[in-house]
Amino acid sequence: MSSVTEIKQVRISLTVNGERHEHEVEPRRLLSDFLREDLGLTGTHVGCEHGVCGTCNIMLDGRTARACLLFAAQCDGAEIRTVESLGTVDKMHPIQEAFWEKHGLQCGFCTPGMLMSAAELLERNPEPSSEEIREAVSSNLCRCTGYQTIVEAVQDAATRIREQANG
Amino acid sequence: MKPSAFHYEKPSSLDGLLDVMGKHGEAARILAGGQSLVPMMNFRLATPEVLIDINGLSELDYIRQDGDSLSIGALTRHNVIYDSPLVAELSPLMAEAYKHVAHTTIRNRGTIGGNLSHADPSSELPAVCICLEGHMILRSKQGTREVPAGEFFLGALETAIQPGEFLAEIKIPVRKPGVGSAFEEVSPRRGDFATTAVAATLQIDGGICQTARIAHAAVADRPARIESAEAVLEGSALDKARINQAAEIAASETEPSLINYHGDADYKRDLLRALTKRALQRASENSVN
Amino acid sequence: MAKDTSFLEKSRQVEPPREAYKWIGKDMKRVEDPRLLAGKGIYLDDVQLPKMAHAAVLRSPHAHARILSVDTSKAKNLPGVILVMTGAEAAEVTGPTASFASPPCPQYCLAVERVRHVGEAVAAVVAQSRYLAEDAIDLIEVEYEELPVVVDPLEAIKSTGDAVLHPERGDSNVAIERTLRFGPVDEDFANADQVIERKLRWPRVGAVPLETCGAVASYDEGTGKFTIHANTSMYNYVGWLIAVSLNVPSHRVNIIPTLAGGSFGSKLFLHKVPTLAATLARASGRPVKFLEDRLDNLMNCDNHASDRVYNAKLAIKDGMMTGISFHVVDDYGAYLQFGYGTHGNALSQASGPYKLSSLEMNLVAVFTNKCQQGAYRGFGSEVMNFLVERLADAAIEELGDDPLEFRRRNFIKPEEFPYRIPTGNLYDSGDYPKVLDEAAELLDYPGWRKKQEAARKEGRYIGIGVATCQERSVFSATEFWFLNPDEAQGFTLTSSPEGVSVKIDPTGKAMVTLHAPFWGNSPETMATQILAEHLTMDPADIGISYSDTDSGLNGTGPGGSRYTVMIAGALTGAAGKIREKLLTVGGHMLEASVEDLELADGRVSVKGAPEHGKTIAEVALHAHYFRLSMPDDPLLTSGIDATHVYDHPLTTLPNGDRTDLGVFYPIMGHMCHMPVIEVDIETGKIEFLDYVAVHDCGTMVNPMTLKGHIRGGTASGIGTAMYEHFYYDEQGQLLNASFADYLIPTLHELPVDLRTGHVETLSPFTEFGIKGGGEGGRMGAPPALAAAVEDALRPFGVKIDELPLSPRRLRSLIRAAASSKV
Repeated sequence: MSSVTEIKQVRISLTVNGERHEHEVEPRRLLSDFLREDLGLTGTHVGCEHGVCGTCNIMLDGRTARACLLFAAQCDGAEIRTVESLGTVDKMHPIQEAFWEKHGLQCGFCTPGMLMSAAELLERNPEPSSEEIREAVSSNLCRCTGYQTIVEAVQDAATRIREQANG
Repeated sequence: MKPSAFHYEKPSSLDGLLDVMGKHGEAARILAGGQSLVPMMNFRLATPEVLIDINGLSELDYIRQDGDSLSIGALTRHNVIYDSPLVAELSPLMAEAYKHVAHTTIRNRGTIGGNLSHADPSSELPAVCICLEGHMILRSKQGTREVPAGEFFLGALETAIQPGEFLAEIKIPVRKPGVGSAFEEVSPRRGDFATTAVAATLQIDGGICQTARIAHAAVADRPARIESAEAVLEGSALDKARINQAAEIAASETEPSLINYHGDADYKRDLLRALTKRALQRASENSVN
Repeated sequence: MAKDTSFLEKSRQVEPPREAYKWIGKDMKRVEDPRLLAGKGIYLDDVQLPKMAHAAVLRSPHAHARILSVDTSKAKNLPGVILVMTGAEAAEVTGPTASFASPPCPQYCLAVERVRHVGEAVAAVVAQSRYLAEDAIDLIEVEYEELPVVVDPLEAIKSTGDAVLHPERGDSNVAIERTLRFGPVDEDFANADQVIERKLRWPRVGAVPLETCGAVASYDEGTGKFTIHANTSMYNYVGWLIAVSLNVPSHRVNIIPTLAGGSFGSKLFLHKVPTLAATLARASGRPVKFLEDRLDNLMNCDNHASDRVYNAKLAIKDGMMTGISFHVVDDYGAYLQFGYGTHGNALSQASGPYKLSSLEMNLVAVFTNKCQQGAYRGFGSEVMNFLVERLADAAIEELGDDPLEFRRRNFIKPEEFPYRIPTGNLYDSGDYPKVLDEAAELLDYPGWRKKQEAARKEGRYIGIGVATCQERSVFSATEFWFLNPDEAQGFTLTSSPEGVSVKIDPTGKAMVTLHAPFWGNSPETMATQILAEHLTMDPADIGISYSDTDSGLNGTGPGGSRYTVMIAGALTGAAGKIREKLLTVGGHMLEASVEDLELADGRVSVKGAPEHGKTIAEVALHAHYFRLSMPDDPLLTSGIDATHVYDHPLTTLPNGDRTDLGVFYPIMGHMCHMPVIEVDIETGKIEFLDYVAVHDCGTMVNPMTLKGHIRGGTASGIGTAMYEHFYYDEQGQLLNASFADYLIPTLHELPVDLRTGHVETLSPFTEFGIKGGGEGGRMGAPPALAAAVEDALRPFGVKIDELPLSPRRLRSLIRAAASSKV
């Protein structure tokens, strides 16, 4: 195997949460580590590092992806959104409000990934059926809630987003 | 769980891809959707020296009808196929099988070519390609060759792809009128790889089965047709007894070798029996449309 | 046993339940959530220190082997590597990790001389990045001499020689054998009309939270002090044990808690991870982060749970359960961090909700070459529920009885509380028939029985499960030592206390410091609601933070469904002191005597004349800055603050021969679970048609979060019952150490609508009558599902004696039943 020192870094330029970043990265650097350590966006959590749990779900060019299964080097030119793009403590996104209202979280560790899955669904399908919500939520593991309140939260978020759009 | 170091190449054309493949030989692996390869790299079960990222090759991303064939570019994402009305119309079996493929986030990235090249014996799509008698279009510097699906899968994680070759396209025959199909699966959790799956197509004319194709997944080191069960159906009227007979043959004449804590040989036989029966029943029911 | 009401006189309840509350009992949105939703919660991996380096460990590929040599030279030469440390090197500076077993079972943060299970850490690397640390791990060369591997717990009983894991404890893998008898066991079995026998197998599963265990440790050479950030609980209770391991005085270790991304028991008290991080920090001179990756967590985190083989008997006389006798072999794996605590725990509710007169346990705890057991939601009592309910169901089957009637008849009656069970533990309160009735009504039990009958005529196999079982809450630590061998019997009376600090700042805002961490429960919300109730404050005016060990009071933390009860006790004590001060200062301001004042709606005012009063903010300002304007009174110091450490509400000592274990887990919750499932008999797959869970957790502080616990706990109980299992092969290899193969249920594997109900019987011993509710779901689902599946497969005569109810297992049972009929 070629020694580590010979490995050529990859220059990437990408947009994360609307902000442009230019970085040199080692090819093997996982996007999850790049976001968390290089950009300081620690809202994206890492649960299994083999793509099953969905805790690290982020939005890549408008669709969710497992950040632990992407190399930052692949994301040159990409538009990435993380949980930090949704809302803040003082000004929550309707999806966050709905999760709060419906008790859609307990330990909060899976929550950022869950929120991104919900955001993807509602951006593509503003009036999802409960079966469609269940399909979207099934992409992520939660060990605390039993998922039922998460489904209710996504349903409620859809209503909130529609009301905001109409209101 | 971090991957070991590798060199990164991202060709911008098919010729460029063949060039870097030639340059690195067997030290390189192709990175498509990465939903199987990257976990293996994170576990350090795969430690390629070079990773060739083909995600820039949009010329491998298409779904189109070519006469009697449905052609799907290898880089087509699962979810694009999952959502495709064309696939639903021209290959109901593939469309149905996709309901069992992973979860939406994984399907966003994963590609059909990556899935088939990875050749996981418990995956759905290899069995679909076998059942439909599809073809894999492989490209290399020497040109293009078509490999029948039945000759493509050589074992667990083993295919007929030779060094210097890559899978460019999957070609499956368009569903003919009067052909019914069904895909049945049991998996540990929904979205997991199959414990056992059965794909079936039936061409029925005047109540008589003209052609039957049955393929299994997750039973052996590769998906395969169950020809002895097909044989008892072809040329016969498809009643319940005949279907049960075929299902019994599928169970008794298949030797499950891919066994683990989710399924031992007896359980996989049980599933072959149940799933073959159900797939044939549904295929015969929907063959009329 | 006869009712002994003297216990009621021992109640230290200060705050009796009220008719009405302002904040308690409300579905208040959680205080914890906004930062978690915004991605701003600080979990362990979010801790970043200047110059911080990253650690990874080399995991043993062998289940049992001597470590002959470890060559770290190549790893040390890799650029970016700061330190490579073997187990032997670590043991030169750091002693064994904390163990609650007696005699202790030495365990080190890195294995010394011998590895005892696959995945055990053998060496560690500290490097500039986790990537480089893992690269270096791959370069470490270890020479092992393989030893005989012990995997089967029944085989482990017979091990000798090289197959013995801890030869210094004797030439055997039996860690303890102990028989305890309570009440007239022989008489009950001799007089029985029927004796029901069952062999049961409870599978090894684990808590497996989505966040693994981790620590960031630094060592200050100037002060000789360690600072350890960790996602552990119990840091203020037994955190000093980490200092013992590190060979420094306890004031040279400060443990700072982070949020924990789920624990379910698995982070009860981290020992190896913080000890390792601190050892590496001291040796490398750099702050070190060690966060288990998922492989470490599945193979080497001590969160595997009970792994038991039972041989059990139930005596029946005149249709009544009289005695239970069981022999249990428990596979503890390679070490014994918590001793035999899970069996002590189980004895707190060993007779279930039923009126038994005797009980006998023969325990054989064995070592095998597997990851050691730790704590997981239920801590052994969930297994006891399974045992008792399986025996009850077997009796119902044999007597041809009705599952509801049999239970009603055998229940302890509402008027019989407080009630002592044969083991000596006290059940404080309950109304079991009411819980059962409510569940049956919520489910429409008769309606489902009709649907079941109709479906069976169509060849469909619907089953209805009934489980009525206990959720003991609020542990006292006697359970950790009363099973110790006779020569090391234990201690005098133990408490497991919980502290709190409260201050009202000059603007009238309350700052509460908790002395235990957040681990996925709702400690901030609980404290806010309870303090708002006490001080009649707006919850928005209450802030919560967490102490470190430098500032911390005794706080045992969450575990054993204790936190809400215990923090309510601590807050009641602290709020009483605060209230008194508010009234005293307010009295001086209002020129009124304290007896004429009341605290209501956030104001100190004259009783009957609310307009004549001062707000809490006005009083607080006065107390902070104008103390000397008030008369001299040694109790009247500037400011308004209070601390209070609340002790366990009711514990008594076990007796010497352990025929009476004393009261150790008296705050007794109860539940009835009724799942309705359908088995696809051709594939063995189970589908949920309905699920009802009715719980009694006493006074509900927040029904919404309690429901969250019930549903979430039930989800993990369904995981245990149907999906999860750590599969070790004969060589001790863990076959499914990944999330692809260790089957945590996704949404699709759970009921669409888990319907819950509540009955509130109030504890006479706790403040406001609260009982714990954190574990119940997982403690009720497994026996309920076993019953449901057995009910569905009744036409085949299938018995469910073993979990998980995987489709493979069900098909195998159906196949065997079908062939035996031929």
